[in-house]
Amino acid sequence: MASTAREPLLEVKGLSLSFGGLRVLSDLDLTVGEHEIVSVIGPNGAGKTTFFNVVTGIYPPDTGEILFEGSSILGLDPHKIARRGVARTFQTLRLFLNMTVKENVMAAAYGHTKAGVLRSVLRTPGMRREEREIAQLAEERLAFFGDRLVGYRWRQPAYSLSYANRRRLEIARATAARPRLLLLDEPAAGMNPVETQEITELIGRLRDEGGYTILVIEHDMHVVEGISNRVVALDHGVKIAEGSFEQVATDPRVVEAYLGASATERA
Amino acid sequence: MDWDKLVQLLVNGVTLGSVYALVALGFSMVYGILKLLNLAHGDVLMVGAFVGWGVLGWLGGAQDPTVAVWLVIVLMILAAMVGGGLLGVAIERFAYRPLRRAPRIAPLISALGVSFFLQNSVLLLFGANFRSYDSFDLVDVGVGVDWGPFHIWVMRIVVVVSALAMMAGLWLLVTRSKLGKAMRATAFDREAAAMMGIDVDRVIVKTFFIGSALAGAAGVLVGLVFFQINHFMGFNYGLKGFTAAVVGGIGSIPGAMVGGLFIGLAEAFSVGYIEDFTRGRLGSAFSDLVVFLILVVFMLLRPQGIFGKPEVKKV
Amino acid sequence: MSEHQSPSPERPRIGVDEWVASAEQRRERTVAGRIEDAVERAPAAAKLVVFALPFAIFPLFTDSEYLTQVGIDTLIYVLLALGLNVVVGWVGLLDLGFVAFFGLGAYLYAALASEYAGRHWEAQFVVPLIAVAVAATGFLVGLPSRRLVGDYLAIVTLFFLQIWLVVLINAEFTRGPNGISDIYPLKLFGREIVSPGGYYYVTFAAFVLVVAFLYLLNRSRTGRAWNALRDDELAAELMTMPVNRLKLMAFAVGAAIAGVAGALYAPQQGAVFPANFDIVLLITVYAMVVLGGAGSIVGVTVGAVLINSSLEALRDPDDASWLFYVAIVLGLVLFMRPRWVPLVVLAGTAAFGLVVHELAEQLRPSLVAGSTFGTARVDEVLDSWVLLPEGAIGQDGLPAGALARIAYVGLVAAILGLTLIRNRVWRAVALVPVLYLGACVWENVLVAQPAVARFVLIGAMLVALMALRPQGLLGRQRVEIV
Repeated sequence: MASTAREPLLEVKGLSLSFGGLRVLSDLDLTVGEHEIVSVIGPNGAGKTTFFNVVTGIYPPDTGEILFEGSSILGLDPHKIARRGVARTFQTLRLFLNMTVKENVMAAAYGHTKAGVLRSVLRTPGMRREEREIAQLAEERLAFFGDRLVGYRWRQPAYSLSYANRRRLEIARATAARPRLLLLDEPAAGMNPVETQEITELIGRLRDEGGYTILVIEHDMHVVEGISNRVVALDHGVKIAEGSFEQVATDPRVVEAYLGASATERA
Repeated sequence: MDWDKLVQLLVNGVTLGSVYALVALGFSMVYGILKLLNLAHGDVLMVGAFVGWGVLGWLGGAQDPTVAVWLVIVLMILAAMVGGGLLGVAIERFAYRPLRRAPRIAPLISALGVSFFLQNSVLLLFGANFRSYDSFDLVDVGVGVDWGPFHIWVMRIVVVVSALAMMAGLWLLVTRSKLGKAMRATAFDREAAAMMGIDVDRVIVKTFFIGSALAGAAGVLVGLVFFQINHFMGFNYGLKGFTAAVVGGIGSIPGAMVGGLFIGLAEAFSVGYIEDFTRGRLGSAFSDLVVFLILVVFMLLRPQGIFGKPEVKKV
Repeated sequence: MSEHQSPSPERPRIGVDEWVASAEQRRERTVAGRIEDAVERAPAAAKLVVFALPFAIFPLFTDSEYLTQVGIDTLIYVLLALGLNVVVGWVGLLDLGFVAFFGLGAYLYAALASEYAGRHWEAQFVVPLIAVAVAATGFLVGLPSRRLVGDYLAIVTLFFLQIWLVVLINAEFTRGPNGISDIYPLKLFGREIVSPGGYYYVTFAAFVLVVAFLYLLNRSRTGRAWNALRDDELAAELMTMPVNRLKLMAFAVGAAIAGVAGALYAPQQGAVFPANFDIVLLITVYAMVVLGGAGSIVGVTVGAVLINSSLEALRDPDDASWLFYVAIVLGLVLFMRPRWVPLVVLAGTAAFGLVVHELAEQLRPSLVAGSTFGTARVDEVLDSWVLLPEGAIGQDGLPAGALARIAYVGLVAAILGLTLIRNRVWRAVALVPVLYLGACVWENVLVAQPAVARFVLIGAMLVALMALRPQGLLGRQRVEIV
């Protein structure tokens, strides 16, 4: 399954980051090919979310290089990285709670629309077309989840959604930013088994129908097994294993990392 | 080089700076614990100044005090500290505590309301005219330390020394006492502190009391060396105190002290030299412009201030 | 537990989700819900007409020059509130230098059309020019705090206001505290506007344009992005929105509107003084935005109208005297349940007052020897009800002794203490003496200086509003994660 023949979409080389003496990421290398689903696993505090934060430009790394589509995105503002085609969801949901479901998705199309203040206020034909387009885009993206986020839901504020629907909305919003690379931070966290099953299928569909390349952090090994082309295991910011699910899952170092972690885990 | 002027400005700057440092301390402590910009802090200083003035009048006035002069000063400062402290506690209890879970802007607007309320209440009760401490009647300007050609009025020394003493006391309190430990813990992570059995509400109330007491005392010190007080004086001292806290590093106690001194000296020297430097085009009133530029430069180059650490965003 | 439900991949699961979904249908069945929907669906132009109509016909109902003047002031305030709302309501930033932009607009007008400047440019050039210039200034002021916008912005902008006032008062080219007093009237396409009615309609036109501008802007990608970043800055940034630029933009738009308001204010007043643009105005405009409901165009407009009319009404001691009692009665009737409670409290207060007054007359006659400040009929009644100590207030309207000051501070403490009483019965009982003390302080201290008293009330209102109803009268309640 591992595909080195494909063109790499994201290339991370020698990435390191410390927070005041604490090494969070240590000399990390990672390559994600086009149309791949790569899962990042590891115990709590392994640096998975931090890795996402570095890729999306929230934290500048101490050393290392991040290439997206062959060119460096290091030091760019997060919104510029997002415009290049990297979108993400959050482990702790971060929706625009007071906006409607549809507005949430439309807002993420900001980077791909152009109408400035003047054109918006004059309601020029170009601006109206743009608005129609992103409204349509939003409806399409929301329809991806069956009838859960359509119809009357469009007009509801995001805070009225259930937990699972909030997770779905976050994914819909991320796709409206027209990414090529989608970073999903624990998409199945807090979901019941039925919903988890559904999200597993959905991630597959995102790649197959949506054409996205997906990097996903996940704790649920069933999900990881179900979706991954490749799995990367982190522990204390160091990559300890990489390969197919079977390879990584049976790697003694991975097992040790989890067991060691769970033995001393406090939370 | 005019040495006399230089020394006078230096003394002025240190006096002003110690007042700013006291304001900055209270402001910084509250910010550290609640992440709240207490915009009413300057007005606590103003109320403290009026409390001190009231005590002075009650003790017979500056010209003819009924008790010893040192006792007058001590009583004025103590009364202003108690008054300011209680006022700060009331502000926290009624204007800020109901808003702990509100959007960030809500307590700021509440603070504007408090500030406006206090200013206009004092205006209502005491009028718009300046009131004077007449402290040159209390202690003659001639009394002081003479060092060669230079003369420093003893009142200035009293003010600077009491400000330093209060700062030292605060420093000991924060670094040595149990309360200080609880304050630092609460500032670091309020929820974790609450889970470790710290009564966060009480820590916050005490922080407000101490910070506001310092501001109240600062109000009296201002009256003692600069004589004039009125209902709007808190704006200027609040603003400079905020600036000092930001320049020093908001949330940091040594930062507030150093920032206060820095802003005080910068202001005093620009009052003294801005006319010479601009060849008379800008008068001494434009010294605020210099302080503003310092603030802007810090915002651009070192937003975390002299003693602050860069903030790590939590995601 | 969700495991017990029959999993059906097509339908959303039944439960809270369904219930929330049906909320929509339930809402549609209520009258308020239908009105809301109708408003939502109505064309924007129709909404604007209905909204602006009361302002458009206001001058037809009065030929008093004073009322027209109040109308112009109100519209200027509405413009200011609308501008501040962009920054405070839509983006959630604290701009404490806002009135400096208003002042800048006014002084720029004076620089382009006054005898002092020796120019008289026409308004159709001057106003847009000022809007652009003030917007650029706003952008520059916001720039230093771009990294840590938020609390730091508040300090920088407050300091900017201070610098602005220092320059106005001390610089020679602004003529210092004397201001510039020979400003030419607005000249619009060759015609000079001189009548208050003319100024009213020019300001009204600006109001309509600004409302339309803001309405359309709010419903564009920019408005959506502002909304988004107010909810979650980091998520907005990661969803392709340039947060810092958007904030500065909001800052500049707010400043531009304030600048336009200033450009209309200067010629209509004929003079500008530094004192026109101080912190009092700043907090008044904040109160307008917050009272009406930050974020809502209709809300802040209503807030500005309400506050400016109250401020006008409180100017006169005669009116102030009885307005207080109307406000108290209204407040009690609106907020106290069940309905008979306010009646009992009011009756109790009246009786309490009579008893106290009677006792005071017997024991310390000096406590009732003073007189009220008004001359209306209500004051004759009050003379035999509230305590009016002799000589408590001096000739200048200021408290002469400690008594009035202590009573005032005591009243503030009593009101605060009242909010701490949890038991509703005891609170109602405690309310009686507090109301009486309030009436005494009002008649003695506050009515004597209505100009100051109204600002005391605005300050108190801001604090109370934030604690009780932070969304204001017409704002939408927001859900926030703190």
